[in-house]
Amino acid sequence: MALRNLLGSTAAASFVICAGAVAAEPLKIALVETLSGPQASTGLLYRDAVNYQIGKLNAAGGFGGQPIELMEYDNQGGPVGAADRVRAAISDGADVILQGSSSAVAGQVTEDVRKYNLRNAGNEILYINLGGEAMELTGEKCHFYHFRTSPNAAIRVNTLLDGMKDAGVLGDRVYAINQNYSWGVDFQNNTVAGSERLGFEVVEQTLHDVNKIQDFAPYVARIQAADVNSVISGNWSNDLLLLMKAVSGAGIDVKFGTAFLDQPGNIGNAGAVAEGHFLSAPFNPEVNPEETTAFVEDYKAVTGHYPSYVEPATVFGVMLLGEALKNVEPTEDGLNAEDLALALEQATVQTPMGQISMRSDDHQVILPMIVQEVSKDAAFKADDTEFGFVPVKVIAAEDAVQPVQDSCNMKRPG
Amino acid sequence: MKIGTLAILTIGVALLLALPWLVSDSMLNAAVQMLIAALFAMAFGLLCGRAGMLSFGHAAYFGVGAFAAVHAMNAFNGEGLLPTPLLPLVGAGTGMISGLIAGYFSTKRTGVYFAMITLALAELLHALAPHLKAVFGGEAGISSFRMPAWGFTFGSLSEVYYLTLIWTLGCILLLYLFSKTPLGRLALGLRENAHRMRFLGYNTHALGTLIFAVSAMFAGIAGALQSLNLEAANYVVLESHISTAVVLNSFIGGVRVFFGPAIGGALMTFFGYITSDLTRVWLLYQGIIFVLVMMFMPRGIVGEVIERFRHSSLRGLAQTAGTMALRVASLAIAAFGGVFMIEFIQRFLSSDYRATAGNGNWPDIALFSYVWSPVSVLPWAFGIGLFAIGIALTMIVNRRAAAAQEASA
Repeated sequence: MALRNLLGSTAAASFVICAGAVAAEPLKIALVETLSGPQASTGLLYRDAVNYQIGKLNAAGGFGGQPIELMEYDNQGGPVGAADRVRAAISDGADVILQGSSSAVAGQVTEDVRKYNLRNAGNEILYINLGGEAMELTGEKCHFYHFRTSPNAAIRVNTLLDGMKDAGVLGDRVYAINQNYSWGVDFQNNTVAGSERLGFEVVEQTLHDVNKIQDFAPYVARIQAADVNSVISGNWSNDLLLLMKAVSGAGIDVKFGTAFLDQPGNIGNAGAVAEGHFLSAPFNPEVNPEETTAFVEDYKAVTGHYPSYVEPATVFGVMLLGEALKNVEPTEDGLNAEDLALALEQATVQTPMGQISMRSDDHQVILPMIVQEVSKDAAFKADDTEFGFVPVKVIAAEDAVQPVQDSCNMKRPG
Repeated sequence: MKIGTLAILTIGVALLLALPWLVSDSMLNAAVQMLIAALFAMAFGLLCGRAGMLSFGHAAYFGVGAFAAVHAMNAFNGEGLLPTPLLPLVGAGTGMISGLIAGYFSTKRTGVYFAMITLALAELLHALAPHLKAVFGGEAGISSFRMPAWGFTFGSLSEVYYLTLIWTLGCILLLYLFSKTPLGRLALGLRENAHRMRFLGYNTHALGTLIFAVSAMFAGIAGALQSLNLEAANYVVLESHISTAVVLNSFIGGVRVFFGPAIGGALMTFFGYITSDLTRVWLLYQGIIFVLVMMFMPRGIVGEVIERFRHSSLRGLAQTAGTMALRVASLAIAAFGGVFMIEFIQRFLSSDYRATAGNGNWPDIALFSYVWSPVSVLPWAFGIGLFAIGIALTMIVNRRAAAAQEASA
């Protein structure tokens, strides 16, 4: 009789244990990135960085005693594919969605997540925007379940201007040339807004077609005629390369201030033309060498290359998420998104670049920025050239911060 | 054969109606995309297959419908004159009007010049869109919200699916009926010999414009359905790859057969949906499929099937089906070998692999739940061998089929 009782209770106990193990779902994170097609190179960088840091989180115990499950979805480069993949991710049980390349895709994902959460109260999901830098994502489109872990146009421009002013290359005559869409317009507006504070004059502002211009000579002629000291441009990819090459070809001595000069391939392509130009980015491998070297070497050991472009900021963003996860209790189906959002609002994490934290008013990350110059003296060379980025000025998080936009009306739960 | 077609259609529609109970949410989502792609391809098929006018700018009318629907959604809030289920009517109207205008200009020319004009008009819209932020919403696009109507919330995927299904089936039925009207018949004449039509006294320009407008109207409906599905529209729908995708889909399905474009659109959308999460090189496979279909089945998949199974006795039918099954099986072997090779090389060349490999150290590569060493001959022999065996088998099947045909002739 006693034996039978014992057996019975053991069976019951093991049943309970099994049931417990089955019921608690692992935390599922979906990366909805551009992984194929012409825009894939940036998407794959986000993928490497997310894989790296989720690997670290899992090595440290994962979440709720289980490894975090990372699911990958290919958004095929556009908002249509992204809308589709967000749905697929949700039906596969994703609790958090990560996405970075392209503000257009980010705009679609953030709206999709907002609508899904409206329709499925109590079962919300979180969107962590790793790199969509358009102002409206933390402006008129901001909502409680969206978090941006990258800088935005205002942070980029103002830190860039500060750094160039300190380095004595900004001058008092500045030319703003940008691509004619919201990112370029944001960049231009912030350049103009910064002119009074820093005492320079924006001599001329130009908006041009996006990635369509082959010959920048007419624009270069205008830059020459304007007789400026520096050119501030949010251009990326070909628009930046061709513009810099045209300016250098015309023999004009101006300094460029840019946001995306560190995109892989840019330095290799521009070569000596890029020398002496400026960039404001959330990372430089020469800052804080003790910690940073360990980070970049470990990153290389895992992924095969040094972190560059969007990768460091992505790693830091996922670090911030990991920090928030420490303060969230796992539930039966992974976690409660509202708890995680509230924890993320309070999250602060120490990165090799300094402390980063989330601002609860508009869910924009507050992070240090590094203004850097393309130089032969750089310790880490870019694209196997003799050039790399040398830090000019490290701007602490509290100095890089920009005010919350008035257009953000965040509806908080409860 | 007529009864057979009807039976196939009934079974197909019944399956489509029962789909929400049969498949997962993720697949149902794919089904919505497939229906939209099918309708868009059918609209293109009317113009290209039936009237013989190859348009390279059909994304423009799809996009116009999509944006019109999204603006109407925001303006009417799904109430009043335009409740949510009737929103595709806006796409139809705007698609038709833009089709009339664009068709008037482009159908003044034929052939390559026609294609160039459609391409130019679509590019015009595409280049203009980023600058008109109020209309096209900039690169973030315009967002909207499906409001409840007629007792449905339209919040769940299955409601969206049924809405799309009803519109798509209805439109395909209308397209079928259109092909039976005198205007639909004249489209065929336009394709075969426009000169002769003119000599017979028809105004071929007006005819072409009308057919263009009808095609654009259905493309607009497809665009509106996409807006309803995504609750957003973005100017990337005006990009040229949307125009080329519909051309490829229609030709893969069979642009001259009534149902061909729909099947092509649905199949290729499904293909993209499934493979894009499985492999990074799915675009390569898509391209290979297109090249192969154009080389060996210029009539398209549906066109080929119909050609094979038409006018044959029951016994001949069984024989054809047998040969086809053998051919498909041997091609599947070759395809598996080819896919194995491509995937193996892709993994071998990937940055992940290069991160761990080097200095004479070549770690194993996991593929199809086995691990293969890239320095051993095994994986290469396996992939290339399977490919060769498959091709050889196909050739044997082909030769036997040819011999049998000769014997019976």
